Amino acid sequence: MHGRGDPTRGPGGDGGGGEPRDLVRALYLGLLRLYPAGFRERFEADLIQVFDDRRREARFSGAWGGIRLVWFLLGDFVRSVPMARQWAERMRRRRDGQGRRERIMGNLLQDLRYTARMLVKNPVFTLAAVGTLALGIGLNATTFSAIHAILLRPLPGADAPEELVQMYRVWGGIEYGSNSIPHFQDVRDRTGDVYEDVAIWTFAPVALSADGQTERVMPLIVSANLFQTYGVQPLLGRAFIPGEEDRGPGAHAVTILGYGFWQGRFGGDPGVLGRTIDINGHPFEVVGVSPPGFRGPASFAEAPFYVPVMMQREVMPGSDLLEARGNNSFNMVGRLRDGRTVEQAQQAMDALLVQLREEYLDQYDDQLGNKLVLQSEAGIHPSFATASMGMSAVMMAVVGLLLLIACVNVANLFLARAQDRRKEMALRLSLGAGRGRIVQQLLTESIVFALLAGGAGLVLAWFATGALNAFRPPMDGPFAFYIELDRTVLVFTTAISVLAGILFGMVPALQATKPDTMTEVKGDASAGSRRSRLSSGLVVFQMALSLLLLISSGLFLRSLQGAAQIDPGFDDPSNLVTAAVDPGLLGYEEAEARQILDRLMEEVAALPEVTEVGFASWLPLGLSNSDRGIGIPGYEFTENERRSISYTYVTEGYFEAMGVRFVEGRSLRRGDDENAAPVLVVNQRFAERFWPGESAIGKVVETAGQEWEVVGVVETGKYQRLGENPTEFMFIPKRQRFYSGTTLVARTPSDPQAVLGRIRSVVRGIDPDMPVYDLRTMENHMGMALLPSRLGGIVLGLFGLLGLTLAAVGIYGVMAYSVSQRRRELGIRVALGAARGEVERMVLREGLRLAVVGAAIGLVGAFGAARLVQGMLYNVSALDPFAFGLVPLLLVGVAALAVYLPARKAARADPVGALRAE
Amino acid sequence: MPDEARLNDVLPLTSTVFHVLVALAEGPRHGYAVAQEVEELTEGRIVMGPGTLYGSLSRMQEAGLIVEAENPGEDGVHAERRRYYRMTPLGTAALRAESERLLRAARVARSRLGA
Repeated sequence: MHGRGDPTRGPGGDGGGGEPRDLVRALYLGLLRLYPAGFRERFEADLIQVFDDRRREARFSGAWGGIRLVWFLLGDFVRSVPMARQWAERMRRRRDGQGRRERIMGNLLQDLRYTARMLVKNPVFTLAAVGTLALGIGLNATTFSAIHAILLRPLPGADAPEELVQMYRVWGGIEYGSNSIPHFQDVRDRTGDVYEDVAIWTFAPVALSADGQTERVMPLIVSANLFQTYGVQPLLGRAFIPGEEDRGPGAHAVTILGYGFWQGRFGGDPGVLGRTIDINGHPFEVVGVSPPGFRGPASFAEAPFYVPVMMQREVMPGSDLLEARGNNSFNMVGRLRDGRTVEQAQQAMDALLVQLREEYLDQYDDQLGNKLVLQSEAGIHPSFATASMGMSAVMMAVVGLLLLIACVNVANLFLARAQDRRKEMALRLSLGAGRGRIVQQLLTESIVFALLAGGAGLVLAWFATGALNAFRPPMDGPFAFYIELDRTVLVFTTAISVLAGILFGMVPALQATKPDTMTEVKGDASAGSRRSRLSSGLVVFQMALSLLLLISSGLFLRSLQGAAQIDPGFDDPSNLVTAAVDPGLLGYEEAEARQILDRLMEEVAALPEVTEVGFASWLPLGLSNSDRGIGIPGYEFTENERRSISYTYVTEGYFEAMGVRFVEGRSLRRGDDENAAPVLVVNQRFAERFWPGESAIGKVVETAGQEWEVVGVVETGKYQRLGENPTEFMFIPKRQRFYSGTTLVARTPSDPQAVLGRIRSVVRGIDPDMPVYDLRTMENHMGMALLPSRLGGIVLGLFGLLGLTLAAVGIYGVMAYSVSQRRRELGIRVALGAARGEVERMVLREGLRLAVVGAAIGLVGAFGAARLVQGMLYNVSALDPFAFGLVPLLLVGVAALAVYLPARKAARADPVGALRAE
Repeated sequence: MPDEARLNDVLPLTSTVFHVLVALAEGPRHGYAVAQEVEELTEGRIVMGPGTLYGSLSRMQEAGLIVEAENPGEDGVHAERRRYYRMTPLGTAALRAESERLLRAARVARSRLGA
């Protein structure tokens, strides 16, 4: 070895070097700061060592040597500082990138492995936690996907649905009015600068004959450019041809089949093109099949087939809409040109209205304006927007609450387990594991649980949406839902799962890492108190939520009961049967149709089981409703006053069969026909509005271009909804205004089902091809009016029961756990002579206190919730004493049971065993 | 055995690295001893200051040519505190490959000079 410094001479102790070299050394130490910190930390001692070694070399001694040393060191710095910096930079990058990533990923993998072991090791815990959550998540996913499919999602299958605008007309009292065919033609031809295309559509009932069987179905009657407007390519064949098939009434007996109908009726046969289907006795050639993704322009229905609007007279016999500017029954939709906005379209429509008012003097006087709604914001129909969004919000809130209850339960499970793992956690904390690290581990666990539950929830949702899609509401029309678990639903479900995981994982995670490590390691029996305080809070919360749900469902159930007590304005609906026919659909002219209907009435009246029979064009409390503008001599309507009145056409016998009571005047007679003077029956509300304090008999109503004399006044009933406020109504003699669509009502004191069978044979005897539909009792018919309330009651009732079960399980779990934690304390009490009954009462009292506090909080919430659902309730106060009195009692009762079992166990505790266990 | 790829990564060696490896070929050395030996081997052409020395050593360590060695605890009190280095198998292989390359180059040079 060369030049090894003499160990007896310390650095700086060289007498020969003296001051200058000390100075050089000091300088060198200062200049070391030029190196990056990482390099210095690692090599500083070695650098100084080598410096000292060098300094002692002969060539660097003496004054010149000192100068040479400084020069030498400067050169050394110039070369080595960049080297050191690069080295430090590489080290830092390696540590940051690879190191940190590896550490976190490594931790995550470790946590995941640990979690997987836990899942398998505690199958009961896993099942309980995952099952509870899956229920909550599944409910949420189902509800969300239904709302998404019906209200939020843009129309499936349509190209660029954001460019589609629905157009409505505003009249006094009507915000979203429909459109007539001539009006549509003007809009289509005169708004080309804002719209690429404008189309119309409506559903209409027809008789479809095939294989000797005739049935009533509801196709869509559409303008020829409908498919182009929606940007839909037919799966097979062609679309209707704009410019050709929207000209020439009756000239285009062609049809495009809906995908579902094609699959169901024709087995998806591609050879269907060129075949004919028989609509109202007219052959229509199949020219196309619509693609599977496009179910038509309505999100809640799927049309069996499409027919061009030029065939309206054949499809809707007895009415001629092609020239009827005032007959508004079509939905109108336009596709905006590129870069055009709804506002510009609105201006164009308003400008067009001004022109149309001048061109068609009387026809547009009543129209106040136009209302344009983006397709994506229209939902089912914009006039229901508030109600349907409100209902959706209530549903989402309810299922959200249920998920919250489930989360609370699982949080409690986790908390209980965290208690068992406190020693593990405390040990890990004292061994230097960071709090963040442990929180990470616990959150990983809970999120894995939640994602598992999310997967299970999706499976539940898959079944539930399948059931919803198969559900056909008892309503007249091709109503069908098309609910999918699409990407939005998946994202939603994943999001709520992770959120739920964080929610129920966070509390136990933070709790677990908070303990005073020393007492935990030593094993302190009293340490459970903090945990039980927390879970007590959760139990209170849970009780409150369950109470809220149960009271809401109680209100709906009470509302159902209340609805049964509402007087609909007619007698016992269970002994009233209905049946609908429409001879016009089969091409019968008015005279023939009248004969057929007369024969039907006579033959049904002759049935021994039938006491009264009558016809109406449509019945109250169904979905159909018509109104028409009226004038009353001597009565001035104010500007915004609604001048259209709901009505139906009825024959003699209708009021008698229904059991509608007359206040004054007479009922209709067979003689009130086309040859007699026009007469009218109105309801009491009508009479009071227009002739207050006078008799309505003999008064005149102007409508449909005629004057009608009021001959009778009936009690005001319910016409659209059982919950509606009293509304004006008129009954126009069906014999004076012929309308082919006819619903027969017959009262029978005997078995209604037998009578329904007899009526069917009567119809078949008259014309075997005539479809008869809506064969049911009036009670079933009314079921539709009660459907929202009934569904609400059932769904909320189920949810409430679920919530109650979850809450009961939760309170039982907490109490059982708390008792097992306090075995020693309770054992000592028993050992010191406390009566077992006393211990039992003490535990019971504590549990019940939680239940009562929770119930009290829930009551406050329920008052608020009740106000929200008030509009959906029939004949029930939002503060219904039964719901608000009984439900809390029920809940506290269930809670008492859940507390009683652990309490009894506590009282039976063997004091000696309990003491020894510690 | 150090594989081809890693070897190719470090070759050819710079003059300093080559001589440091030569200095370590006899056994572990501490930094100052390496610097001394390199100076002697290069007949004073390479005199490394403290920074250059540890800069080179750290870089060679990073490249896997050398590693820190157990302090053999011999000669002198100061030796106790010093960091020792020794060659890795990769370092040995690199030194061998480099010497052979230099030998071949020297042989070619000498034959062309007519020696």
